[in-house]
Amino acid sequence: MADSEVVFRVSRYRPESGGRPTFQEYRIPYRSDMVVLDGLNYIKDHLDPTLTFRWSCRMGICGSCGADVNGRPRLTCGTYIRDMRKGAVTVEPLSNFPILKDLVVDFDDFLDKLASVRPYIVRKDWGDLSKEYTQYPEDVDAYRQQSLCINCMLCYAACPVFGASPEFVGPAASALALRYIRDTRDDGAAERLARLNTKTGIWECTFVGECSVVCPKEVDPAAAIQTLKFLATTRHMRRLLMPGSASR
Amino acid sequence: MTVHEYPARRRRVWWLRNRRYLAFQLREAGGVVCALYGLILLNMLIQLRDGESAYAAFLNLLRTPPMLYLNVVLFALVLWHALTWFMLIGKAQPIQFTREPLPWKVVFGINVLLWIGVSGAVVYLIFGGM
Repeated sequence: MADSEVVFRVSRYRPESGGRPTFQEYRIPYRSDMVVLDGLNYIKDHLDPTLTFRWSCRMGICGSCGADVNGRPRLTCGTYIRDMRKGAVTVEPLSNFPILKDLVVDFDDFLDKLASVRPYIVRKDWGDLSKEYTQYPEDVDAYRQQSLCINCMLCYAACPVFGASPEFVGPAASALALRYIRDTRDDGAAERLARLNTKTGIWECTFVGECSVVCPKEVDPAAAIQTLKFLATTRHMRRLLMPGSASR
Repeated sequence: MTVHEYPARRRRVWWLRNRRYLAFQLREAGGVVCALYGLILLNMLIQLRDGESAYAAFLNLLRTPPMLYLNVVLFALVLWHALTWFMLIGKAQPIQFTREPLPWKVVFGINVLLWIGVSGAVVYLIFGGM
């Protein structure tokens, strides 16, 4: 293989014919500034228009272009080909998700889980909507890290617990739940913790920690889940010892 | 046209995909080994209750090479289990004692020092009078 070429081994799955996913190889021209998504787009534009994958912003914001690249979940738009090990670049759909076509996975289940933790500000009473709900810098700091989540689902692909127990609510949904629980404007902590403090919620997590390793935004969902375990436990004990205490 | 969705499948040997997965599996195996150690100690108490000869026979069994090798492996796994959990305490830190979170290595170091201190105290209490 010339230095100016790179081999892409891309997983193909044709839903109309069923069967198992297979690999297809493509040789593409290589430049040192190319990311894996550039390679996929080159294949799509010049070699094989039937190759199917998701992408949108090309700058690590939309979270659409996640795939397993050389066995690890990554955003293809943020993964330089030059950083891959020498040899072929292997691109597969995200692990632990059903495959719709080629690199496109079905994430309806993730969206249901996300909705179940109510990832938005919940208030008992919105009161006067013309009034400003003041947030100080330290209030924002409390949830800034979790608010960086872009729902790319790399954490789900890296989580062996989710792979073994698909009913597990999972890392991103948990991190986003913590983001809103920590928001001083929110009153929905009790509802979220009631959802998460279950067998299929945070207690399913055995702290493998790989979700935090692969997270492209350093959200650290593993730490968020441990914090939620602490919050759920203290809330449970408080309700046991002091019925009628505050929900937060 | 019928469209088939390919079901999600976890790889059978997922824990060999990288070193962190393997470290996790060894940590979990260490948990099982901790329980096994507990059973060995429990059996020791049963032998003690059954009399001096039963206890001596049990100790002789523990001194045989296969049991010694087994104990070395079990001890290594228990050590790994304890150390990896100490590493994780600092990464989770649900209770923050300082304004900024402490680096996990600092928390790990404090826990290891406390562990050594407590272990030393226990050893002194048991063997100190000898």
